[in-house]
Amino acid sequence: MNFDALMLEMAVALLALLILVADLLMEPGQSRRKLGYLAIAGLTGLLLVSLGRYGMQGAFFNGLFLQDDYALFFKQTFLIGAILVCLFSLDTVDNLPHSRAEFYVLLLFAVVGMMILASANDLITLYVGIELMTFSFFILVGYVLCETKSTEAAIKYLVLASAASAVMLYGMSLLFGIAGQLSYNALAKGLTASPALIVGGVMVLSGFAFKIAAPPFHMWAPDVYEGAPIPVTALLAMGSKAAGFAAMVRIFAEVFPGTGYPWPLLLLLLSGAAMLVGNLAAIPQTNLKRMLAYSSVAQAGYLLTGMLSGGFAGVKGVLFYLMIYVFANVGAFAVLTAVSRHRNGETIGDIAGLSRKAPVLAVVMTVSLLSMAGIPPLAGFVGKFFLFSSAIDAGYLWIAVLGFVLSMVSVYYYLNVVKSMYLGAPADDRPFEIAMPVRVTAVFAMAATLAMGVYPGPLSQLAETAAKTVFK
Amino acid sequence: MWADFSLHHAWLIPLLPALAFAIISFFLLRSPWLAARLAIAAMGTAFLIALGVVWAVGSKGITVEAPFVMKTVWFSMPGLVASMGVLVDPIAAMMLFVVSLISLLVLIYSTGYMTGDPGYARFFAFMSLFAASMLAMVIATNFLQMFVFWELVGLCSYLLIGWYFFKISAREAAKKAFMTTRIGDFGILLGILFLQIAFGTLDFGELAVKVPAYVQQNGVALLTCVALLLFAGPIAKSGQFPLHVWLPDAMEGPTPVSALIHAATMVVAGVYLVARAFAIFSVLPGAMTVIAWLGCFTALFAAAIALTQREIKRILAFSTISQLGYMMLALGVGSLTASMFHLMTHAFFKALLFLGAGSILHALHDKADIFEMGGLRKSMPATCAMMGIAVLAIAGIPPFAGFFSKDEILVAAAHVSTPLYIGASFTAFLTAFYMARLFLVAFFGEENPHNHAHESGLAMLAPMGVLAVFSIIAGIVPFTMGFGDWVRFGPAHHAGIDWGIASASTLIALAGFGLAWAIYGNGARRSDAIVKQVGVLYSLSLNKFYIDEIYQWFNRNIVTGLARVLYWVDLNVVDGIVDGAAQKSGAVGNILRRFQTGQTQHYAALMLMATVMMTLILAITAGAVAGGGKI
Amino acid sequence: MENGGLMHTLAFFLLSGITLAAAMGVVFKRNLVHSAFLLSVTFLGVAGLYMTLQAEFMAAVQALVYSGAVAVLVVIGVMLTHRQQMSRSNPPNKMLLVGALAALSVVGAIVWAILATPWKVGKGSVVTAGDIGRRFLTDFAPPFEAVALLLLAALIGAVVLFKGGKAQS
Repeated sequence: MNFDALMLEMAVALLALLILVADLLMEPGQSRRKLGYLAIAGLTGLLLVSLGRYGMQGAFFNGLFLQDDYALFFKQTFLIGAILVCLFSLDTVDNLPHSRAEFYVLLLFAVVGMMILASANDLITLYVGIELMTFSFFILVGYVLCETKSTEAAIKYLVLASAASAVMLYGMSLLFGIAGQLSYNALAKGLTASPALIVGGVMVLSGFAFKIAAPPFHMWAPDVYEGAPIPVTALLAMGSKAAGFAAMVRIFAEVFPGTGYPWPLLLLLLSGAAMLVGNLAAIPQTNLKRMLAYSSVAQAGYLLTGMLSGGFAGVKGVLFYLMIYVFANVGAFAVLTAVSRHRNGETIGDIAGLSRKAPVLAVVMTVSLLSMAGIPPLAGFVGKFFLFSSAIDAGYLWIAVLGFVLSMVSVYYYLNVVKSMYLGAPADDRPFEIAMPVRVTAVFAMAATLAMGVYPGPLSQLAETAAKTVFK
Repeated sequence: MWADFSLHHAWLIPLLPALAFAIISFFLLRSPWLAARLAIAAMGTAFLIALGVVWAVGSKGITVEAPFVMKTVWFSMPGLVASMGVLVDPIAAMMLFVVSLISLLVLIYSTGYMTGDPGYARFFAFMSLFAASMLAMVIATNFLQMFVFWELVGLCSYLLIGWYFFKISAREAAKKAFMTTRIGDFGILLGILFLQIAFGTLDFGELAVKVPAYVQQNGVALLTCVALLLFAGPIAKSGQFPLHVWLPDAMEGPTPVSALIHAATMVVAGVYLVARAFAIFSVLPGAMTVIAWLGCFTALFAAAIALTQREIKRILAFSTISQLGYMMLALGVGSLTASMFHLMTHAFFKALLFLGAGSILHALHDKADIFEMGGLRKSMPATCAMMGIAVLAIAGIPPFAGFFSKDEILVAAAHVSTPLYIGASFTAFLTAFYMARLFLVAFFGEENPHNHAHESGLAMLAPMGVLAVFSIIAGIVPFTMGFGDWVRFGPAHHAGIDWGIASASTLIALAGFGLAWAIYGNGARRSDAIVKQVGVLYSLSLNKFYIDEIYQWFNRNIVTGLARVLYWVDLNVVDGIVDGAAQKSGAVGNILRRFQTGQTQHYAALMLMATVMMTLILAITAGAVAGGGKI
Repeated sequence: MENGGLMHTLAFFLLSGITLAAAMGVVFKRNLVHSAFLLSVTFLGVAGLYMTLQAEFMAAVQALVYSGAVAVLVVIGVMLTHRQQMSRSNPPNKMLLVGALAALSVVGAIVWAILATPWKVGKGSVVTAGDIGRRFLTDFAPPFEAVALLLLAALIGAVVLFKGGKAQS
């Protein structure tokens, strides 16, 4: 058995168990901040180790679990996201009423689930990865049960995610029924054109659409984003989406193209719907978490355009965009954490006048939002550029045009927030305290967003290398 | 060792000041002392590296033909690879040395000059960014990289010219500088686009190979147009006629900024761009002729205006325009060596002149009219001495720096065309006259009893001293060390001194001095009588040939009229559409919000139906239904 | 039992009928406790269907885990929950129409898929618990281990949610 292929997953799982055990050895009332640092240090170490793993090809038994640059790129995306989320959630966790260490444990479990999704090369592994991730998220979303919104969000997420999983699982069973096999390689050969393939494929696609929050499978996102603790929302927005894309891109690149059905048409519809619904519904939102939820729906739409071309150029765009989305997202949510701690709310009124109280955070928020809107020279612009140009190259001009137009629309609601931060009057005059980890995370995320916008070369090279391994 | 390190880490030269900018603006805005030290330390290190680069160029035999190039892909997509990199050849090395040295000196000077300014730390941040952009532009390997930093230079100039933003005139000047140079930038951008389309590359090295080949095949007509488009950038940025109008107004910025803009950064960027792209320009005789004549005309024109100006910094500003005209003229007649040589010497003495002017303004609390200064030599002896050196240098008196570089230009011009030579020589005469006028009026004559001038502090005098030394030796030392063997285009030309031209130009300069002495010497003010006799010419010059007024008239009557029409269109047509779209978007957003009922069952039902819909769509498009389900 | 034999067919329809009827009951019964018990019956019916497919191991797991554990857990959960009147704990609501429409359309799609697809029918082989276990520890080790983590996460989650609930009350 090639355990090396499973190295990163095993390491993260062990880290989680280590924290779980260490928690038992600590005094009950003690702060669990050290465990947070342990998680951050462990993940950072793994990230560094993983940097040296490019170019390693490997499979765990019969190719059901793959180790390649594509999976590695995604795993690094998850690791970076998890590190940053841990970093800015240190204080949030400290203020939890109970089970503080378990927060990190579950967060790491979710990361393991995502990593499995990136490597999954058969339906069972895919499904188990999805469930591991979803289940961890379900508990994280409902972590603060004493808050009604958190509870409601958790129940909604549980019920809807279960429904989506059920649909997806049924689809998988149909695919298995046709091909008699579970691995992608065998499915690619064994799937013959048939109604069952249509229904099965669509059901699997529905499951993915739920994970990446593409309309009309996005309805859970605003409610859940709003109710969940902010760090969880951040990880949900980027990690869950990225993991969904990781698995989806692989299955759509390896299994479905050979079946002869116009799958890109469905992706096109989902993409258009996501861009439209996400951007338009974001306009009237006053709660920033809901606004960011719709914005993340729109991002899913942009990302889907990268899958239309069915070539590595688009996938490169997807990889690149997901990585930079992590930074933009972390920046925005880190600022939101600080604001929420100060004001105990996260509406557009709560953030008003932030530029006077915490100018650094206001700048970070501005940069992050503008990057999501795709304003040059920020990273989001480069990402959208890759995505849309790949779609145009593949002949999907109009979806790119729609993307451009709606990106402009998105500037409106992003700038609304910026306007409130810079021109609005602060709602109170208490001094604004920013915890050091939050500040560090926010500034780092902003620096990354700027750096990758100004100098996208290395990351885009890396994404290109990674994308090529999917199209062998 | 150091040379080797410097050469391979030449990218540190712009990066260090850029880092200083970032650190100051994020962390040190409230600690001005530290901010200034950091900016100076970064710039000092950059200067040391630049020295190493110069040394490496000399010791490793890096020539214009075989530059040192390091580059990395900035971003790429099919059909376009944009790279960023470092190109070091003698020209770039010379520029790195000059720019980093003068930036360093100006920064040190600013610690004295800007004392007490509320934005002290911010000032150093901006100055660092300004220098960083210029340095990065100098080592650009391709047009795109150059353009990026070219624009950044423009942005910094906007920020710094408008430093005293509470003054309306400063705000207007900043806007004017930005807008005027934008006109040129538009041209340059079009030129760059064309080059990319036609040659598929923007790399200087590759273009230098492809352009001559293209000219041989297709003639020069189209490329001449492209070259002129490219030249529009330098026209605006280097203050060539008719886009020079922003430069005098840019004096609204603090004096160190003026010194930096005029001596080392912004204005010479245009000259440098033409030099950098000389492989393109030099094969296009039409473009070269335009450059030469425009340069010559600008030189003469600006000098004629400088004759009558009264504000010290304005005189210097027109002098800069005039000297830039010289540099363009040199390029136009094909002598890159002469142009770069003059760029270097001019950088030193013009920086010195500005810092001297700053020293005076500092002492007199911003009293800028030279006729109100009067007799400053007693109260400010050091400033007076150093200004004197600069005046001798700019007038072209041997052995000061300006003599050698000006001589090169005159020789080159004389080789190409006699009218150009005469124009340049006459400019030299005017230059000597107005500089002497400035010097005599400001420093000699009776002391103005209202002024309580005092000599400036060491922080300001020390940089001036360094510049004074360079103003003396920067001509003769490079000249004897074979400047032309390194900084050149095409075969090296060993310019010996053409004694005829040299003595003629010296005599002309002395004549200029003499005339100035005759009119303004000994504190006399014999100018009024002359003014009466040549009244029309005088008012033309004093009012800068009414160029600003012409622009304003044009603006008021034509641009504004057009703007009104467009405004109407914008208000009623464009806004109508946009507002409509915005309202619709908002309305749709509200409808979509209504879908978000919060009911889990609704969501689930919707998901299921969407799945069925997708099945239907796929089945119908694939024809599975029509085929009775049998495929 | 032979595939396709009369007994086999009869057993299939009988078990299907039980399963479906019980499932209808789960949805439409007004008393949540009844619904929960009927859920257990549904699970048992499915287990019976597994038996007819010669998947004894699956049938056993289905009966043990789902009918034995899950359904009982649901019943206990329902009974522990504080309610006014148990006989009206599962009232019909306005979602009936929407839900029915959604469910029917999905059923339609699936029925179409199953009927219109030319399935490759294999001979079928007896899969023992041993075979399944061996594959879990070889090819499917990663998902198997991941499931172990999933269960651990579920355990932790139960504790976390329990503590959260306690904090609430």
